[in-house]
Amino acid sequence: MEGQNISISGSGRVSGGEYGQVRISGSGKVDGDVTAQEIRVSGSGRFQGEVKAKEITVSGAGKFTARVEADVLVTSGSCGIDGDAEVKELRSSGAQRIGGSFRGHYVRVSGVLHVARDLETDVFTSSGRFEIGGLLSADRVEVKLVGDSRAREIGGENIDIRASSGLSFGFSLARGFRFGLGIGTLTVGEIEGDRVHLEATTADVVRGKTVHIGPGCRVGRVEYTESLEVHPEAEVGERIKR
Amino acid sequence: MDEDLIAKKDVLEQTGISYGQLYRWKRKGLIPEAWFIRKATVTGQETFFPREKILTRIEQIRSLKEEQSLDELVPILAPESAPETVKCDDPTLLAPVGAEGRKLMWKDRGYTFGELVALACGAHALRAGTRPAEAKLLVDLVRAAEEVVRAPTGITALLGEKSIDQEGVSVRLTVGVLGHEPVKLDRESRVKHRVDMEKIVEQVKLALRGVA
Repeated sequence: MEGQNISISGSGRVSGGEYGQVRISGSGKVDGDVTAQEIRVSGSGRFQGEVKAKEITVSGAGKFTARVEADVLVTSGSCGIDGDAEVKELRSSGAQRIGGSFRGHYVRVSGVLHVARDLETDVFTSSGRFEIGGLLSADRVEVKLVGDSRAREIGGENIDIRASSGLSFGFSLARGFRFGLGIGTLTVGEIEGDRVHLEATTADVVRGKTVHIGPGCRVGRVEYTESLEVHPEAEVGERIKR
Repeated sequence: MDEDLIAKKDVLEQTGISYGQLYRWKRKGLIPEAWFIRKATVTGQETFFPREKILTRIEQIRSLKEEQSLDELVPILAPESAPETVKCDDPTLLAPVGAEGRKLMWKDRGYTFGELVALACGAHALRAGTRPAEAKLLVDLVRAAEEVVRAPTGITALLGEKSIDQEGVSVRLTVGVLGHEPVKLDRESRVKHRVDMEKIVEQVKLALRGVA
């Protein structure tokens, strides 16, 4: 099964197929579907066709024009996927853009992540910035806000959104903004979870079992079944206990 | 499409499942995307489900997950992942097909999943009193539509009947139709038999599980 290795270090073009390693350190183009053990892009790589690999590392600029399937995808440079991505483990400290939807088990964002449609994973942790055009669904959503993030919907078991430093030092959010401490925000249409803890989040609707609305939040309506706590520095429109 | 709908929060309240479970089951594909129906209400956007389908599915997941992991449930319940590898030598053992269903397409052995679903559609019609020749129409129709077996949500197979009287000659035609709901026939035709593909696929899967 194991194919040959290819390495493009100047400028080159290869056709798709089955490979062991694919390394692009110059500028390379791969035409057609590719299956590989490992793909490393440290220069600029363009893949025109579906890509299946155990491990993909992009530290330069990677562009995938169709669907990508991988066990691990690590982006520290810039990586664009035009199609859907099915990646068990995604770690992005660079800029990761997905034009379709994402399915996986573990996502860690410390850079920037854009997903045009839904993002489904078991665990989602972020200390970066993200924009999800559809539903962000995970058992565990753990976010430390840096910059402004958005999602159309968030749903899962535990949803934990924390504002980054500043708060713990006794600053109010409003002052934080004024002094430009880099406190991030999150804007979401709808949040649903069993345990929901929010800070610096703007949402139309929040539904949950136990809900904590922390400082800097603006929520149109909260529907809860067990408990609701609202911080004095939060605005909540309606509160409905079911 | 006047299906009886139930709001998401009522599903949670009635069944006692959590948001975590609901989203997890959706991620696993145990609850099809197509069942999540977004509607505008006085309080904004809300999600609804087809009542009977969602309540039945949650019941199934709960009773089966005692013995099997969620991942094992996917091929059993999730209609969009049809078991490609199924080869069944004796379809009469499957309740949805039975002895009468088998007669609609005779093979020595090795019925594929798609063929079993097709036979189940035929048997469904036979049991409702349709003539074998007409039930066979359904079998052939469904057998030729592999994609429907893989993604049966919202798809109906039906037998329509139309009479044409002209110059003293009267002809009665029966046609098989396969399509997304709402499936419409012209006004002079009537629906003789209707099969909800999603239900049939699920019945065959559950029956296969009993045999295996």
